[in-house]
Amino acid sequence: MRGNGLAPPLLAIEGLAVSYGAVPAVEGVSLEIHPGELRVILGANGAGKTTIIKTVLGLLRPRRGRILLDGTQDLLRCRPHQIHRMGIAWVPEGRQLWSTLTVLDNLRLGGFRERDETVVARRIDEMFQRFPRLGERRNQISGSLSGGEQQMVAIARALVSGPRLLLMDEPSLGLAPLVVRDVFALVKEINAMGIAILMVEQNARQALKVADWAYLLETGRIVESGPAAEVAGKESVQAVFLGGHA
Amino acid sequence: MDLFLQQIANGLIIGSTYAVVALGFALAFSVLRVIHFAHPDVFMVGMFAGLVTAETFPFGGLALAMLGGLIGAGVLGYAIERTVIEPLRGRDVLTTLIATLGVAIMLQNGMALIVGPDPVPYPPLLPRRFLDIGPVSVTVRQAANLGICLLLLAFVSIYVRGTRIGRATRAIAERPDVAAAFGVDVARVCQATIVVASAMAGIAAVSVGTLYGSASAFVGLLYGLKAFTCMLVAGNRYFEGVAAVAIFLGVLEALVTGYVSSSLRDAVAFLVLIGVLYFRPNGLFGSYQT
Repeated sequence: MRGNGLAPPLLAIEGLAVSYGAVPAVEGVSLEIHPGELRVILGANGAGKTTIIKTVLGLLRPRRGRILLDGTQDLLRCRPHQIHRMGIAWVPEGRQLWSTLTVLDNLRLGGFRERDETVVARRIDEMFQRFPRLGERRNQISGSLSGGEQQMVAIARALVSGPRLLLMDEPSLGLAPLVVRDVFALVKEINAMGIAILMVEQNARQALKVADWAYLLETGRIVESGPAAEVAGKESVQAVFLGGHA
Repeated sequence: MDLFLQQIANGLIIGSTYAVVALGFALAFSVLRVIHFAHPDVFMVGMFAGLVTAETFPFGGLALAMLGGLIGAGVLGYAIERTVIEPLRGRDVLTTLIATLGVAIMLQNGMALIVGPDPVPYPPLLPRRFLDIGPVSVTVRQAANLGICLLLLAFVSIYVRGTRIGRATRAIAERPDVAAAFGVDVARVCQATIVVASAMAGIAAVSVGTLYGSASAFVGLLYGLKAFTCMLVAGNRYFEGVAAVAIFLGVLEALVTGYVSSSLRDAVAFLVLIGVLYFRPNGLFGSYQT
């Protein structure tokens, strides 16, 4: 628990170091996110963004560091399905839908942790109201959808689990510019529903518009951290991400 | 024409048996990423478990013998998963392949030590009577074998498509990490998958033992190679595809036997299967990346 009467962060990562074999991917990363916040980790390809996400999910084992949920629950002691059951959902890079399963079955699996079928059915109905296109295609094999539609399925699948914290890995990757705008608007909407979001992005311009707080990751280390508007003004960020487009 | 229909019927009977074993291979490979070479010998042990059950409880009939086969094979499959496959999870495919191959050799020779290397007679759990269905003539045992195997195949299809744990099974087959991150306990589903595959093989094995009237410690070899090839030819994307290829193989074998020569049966069958793999290396119905 932190002092001064504040609630502990929803998720706190402390001194995280992860390697692939002998190759370090993340070196001493610390960051946190509080309930209801929208934070973004910016970084180029290979900076270690996905590695951080996968370590929080329990899919990678770190060399060092701690990951605490609610200030007390040590996620490094838990297996991936247990971490998910604590309310952490994932929108993976490149969507990673179950391509041979229907849209409906993808969403049902999203609600796997919820044993009450009626709750899952209600949440799926809500998703079909929010994304009418998916409702029309509920019995279609998800691999046959367009990239934008697949991203909607990936986001809906995560929401059906009823998460407290959503980990989004490059939700705008590989989508048409118009769809990218929709996705960021949706991210903002989901956050407004009270779900905390930790997002990893290369599209700094859009991400900084919606985020409360931003981290800049370079070769496995955090080099900038601050309120999104402040980070957007930093020279290092301007040079790497926003330059040329301004 | 009569010969043609007769051979189609014979082919369906043998093919549906290949399909049950092949589906067990496919389930193990897709979900656990292991080439489970002991699976055909789990089938063999199931056959003997049924035999022992039938001889211990002579009035139990086919149903009780199949229950014995189901339990014997299911328990053995579970034990192999926990002691051999699970500890090696995440290692190279070759590691578990060799480990399960070792288990296969142990089971074959262990059983040969107990019952001898030669086939032993199987209790007559069904009459040998013939049934005439139009121009086709099959025995009660053949008809029962076809029916039992088709029911088992239908069961797997319903299991993986219609149940919560079955959906989780398919989710792991395509994307194990995403399944785990969505709350699927991968280790538990792996155990369930092996138990289902083994129990199915055990039931089919009792039916096959009854059909041929004999059981042998090395019966798994015959089914193993063919079932494994069927899985490769079909690809692991659709479990139903594996069953379809296995049934096709049975029919092809029967037709070659009927119209050409039984000595060319395996040669022609494997030539066709290898031919398919040459043109579609990922299998007829596609495979997941592993």
